[in-house]
Amino acid sequence: MSAGKAEPAEPGLPKGQGIRQSMSDLHIWAGLLVGWILYAMFLTGTVSYFRDETSQWMRPELPAQHQPPDSAEVAERVAATLATVAAASSQWSIGLPTERSNIASAFWRNPQAQGRRAFQSGTFDPATGQALQVRETKGGDFFFRFHFDLHYMSPLWGRWIAGFCAMFMLVAIISGVITHKKIFIDFFTFRWGKGQRSWLDAHNMLSVFGLPFHFMITYSGLVTLMLMYMPWGSDAAFKTPVERQAMTSQMSAFVPAGKPTGTKAPMVPVADVVRQAQERWGRDNIERVTINNPGDAAARIVVVRGEAGRVSVSPQYLLFDGVTGKLVEAKDKVGPAAETRGVLYALHLGRFADTVTRWLYFLVSLAGTAMVGTGLVMWTVKRRARLPDPDKPYFGFRLVERLNIASIAGLPVAMAAFLWSNRLLPQGLAQRAEWEIHLFFIVWALMLAHAVLRPARRAWVEQLTLGAALLVLLPVLNAITTQRPLWRSIAEGDWVFAGYELGLWALAALLATLAVRTARHRPRARPVRKTAPAAQPSAAAAVGEGA
Amino acid sequence: MTHLALFMLCLAGFAALALGMERTQEDLFGRALTSATVRRLRVAGWVVLLAALACAVRAQGWSLGLVSYSGHTSLAAGVVFGALVLYGRLKPSR
Repeated sequence: MSAGKAEPAEPGLPKGQGIRQSMSDLHIWAGLLVGWILYAMFLTGTVSYFRDETSQWMRPELPAQHQPPDSAEVAERVAATLATVAAASSQWSIGLPTERSNIASAFWRNPQAQGRRAFQSGTFDPATGQALQVRETKGGDFFFRFHFDLHYMSPLWGRWIAGFCAMFMLVAIISGVITHKKIFIDFFTFRWGKGQRSWLDAHNMLSVFGLPFHFMITYSGLVTLMLMYMPWGSDAAFKTPVERQAMTSQMSAFVPAGKPTGTKAPMVPVADVVRQAQERWGRDNIERVTINNPGDAAARIVVVRGEAGRVSVSPQYLLFDGVTGKLVEAKDKVGPAAETRGVLYALHLGRFADTVTRWLYFLVSLAGTAMVGTGLVMWTVKRRARLPDPDKPYFGFRLVERLNIASIAGLPVAMAAFLWSNRLLPQGLAQRAEWEIHLFFIVWALMLAHAVLRPARRAWVEQLTLGAALLVLLPVLNAITTQRPLWRSIAEGDWVFAGYELGLWALAALLATLAVRTARHRPRARPVRKTAPAAQPSAAAAVGEGA
Repeated sequence: MTHLALFMLCLAGFAALALGMERTQEDLFGRALTSATVRRLRVAGWVVLLAALACAVRAQGWSLGLVSYSGHTSLAAGVVFGALVLYGRLKPSR
């Protein structure tokens, strides 16, 4: 955090030092205040770069997908199902499988309901178009939603909290760069086994190498929800419903259903219009097909372009007459302001990325998680050296220390428990998908209790070990409970399953390394504070939960 | 292929920049290099990094190119850093 000089600035120091000192305080306290939530947002956000792969792994009944099915046919099949289950609906919207996702999803407007319940949703088997008959799970969507909605509260509250934390993160990044003016001079410097100095080097390294990413991800994260955080500009500029709809259409491919005529009319086959879009954008680059007023003379079909290969989420779609199949409107660009938002949004999500770029996103984002984690740990490492009595730290110190354990080591345990519950909960359990999530939070709460009850260092070692064990055993559990053991996945070239489980092992190795290092760590010189208050800070700083 | 080339260029660039730092030279060679060599290493490092940027933009366009360039520089710097740390750890046992 601070460049090793956190003593209050003395009066009469040069101005530069004063600014760096105040920036250091800002960095420390802004970082600490939101550090735990930021860590959770960062870690769950990081694994969300493999959101579709997580979802695939959590639905092992669905066969491995070597090539995505033809979107035109899938759209046709799901539309046929919706025509029976949602016949009276004024709007169906079908999310199509992609190279990474092997399910179709849909939501449709429920004519009998208003407000939040106005939409129903479901998941569908691309091969049959029927509702998915596999274990109920939220899959990777849970981590994705959690990283900005949190849970057990209205998404609105979650997003305000997430935005507050992201704003502090931005403050911490900028004040951090000013505080550690030496980070660019100390580039590539790591002083091993020097206690606080080593933590600082590691923290700097994790921050600086990924600095463009960390800044981008925080800023663009705020941009994704900017109209919620700061609605006043758009509220003042766009007042009538028509104006508001014009603004929305710059950001979203959602086309509201117009008034139906009331006259029935046969629909053009959905597959035919999707094929027209495929000719324009490529076979596997269709994201969504929305059908407004199906079966009515005023039916409209909107085919939305996928995000592969373009760094923007700005809407690009083709609007067809649902009865004649004629192209009514082709939307392929938006205004510059909307496009800026579209680009930043896409940069945050990284959905355009090819496999290599996705791994780069994942790794640098993981470094960002570690940056937040090392920052949190440093707060205690630095203060432990100055404790009057290291055996009886003051309340604030204990609080930070225990919360650090429960978040940094406890969250990975809870996330692994979420995957375990996916394999172990019985198939027919009522609200099975919700119970997977409940178990995640129950295990996390247990980790907090454990962190409070155990001595700090033991708690670190035990939770890191537990996390590593849970992750290592997940492929074993999968081999026992499904027909898709790791060796078969590798033999059959199913790289989603194989890659996922090898990735779990890599993360397990990371946690195990941290556990071993923490267990082996021996403070070299425990300072005898009561007799020698001026003990060497560098030696004292080594008394950490260091890893 | 583009990704591999990009990564190797970034790796070479950061390796040259790291070698251009006195602390690294002390660790690796036990002495500081001449200032002429240091200057050449630094220029080479920056030129190679800029060349990598040019490659990225040429091959993938500005938007995708900048994104993957940013990822490759982060990873390459991390790898150079890791190699230096590892070297420092292994050296005393020789």
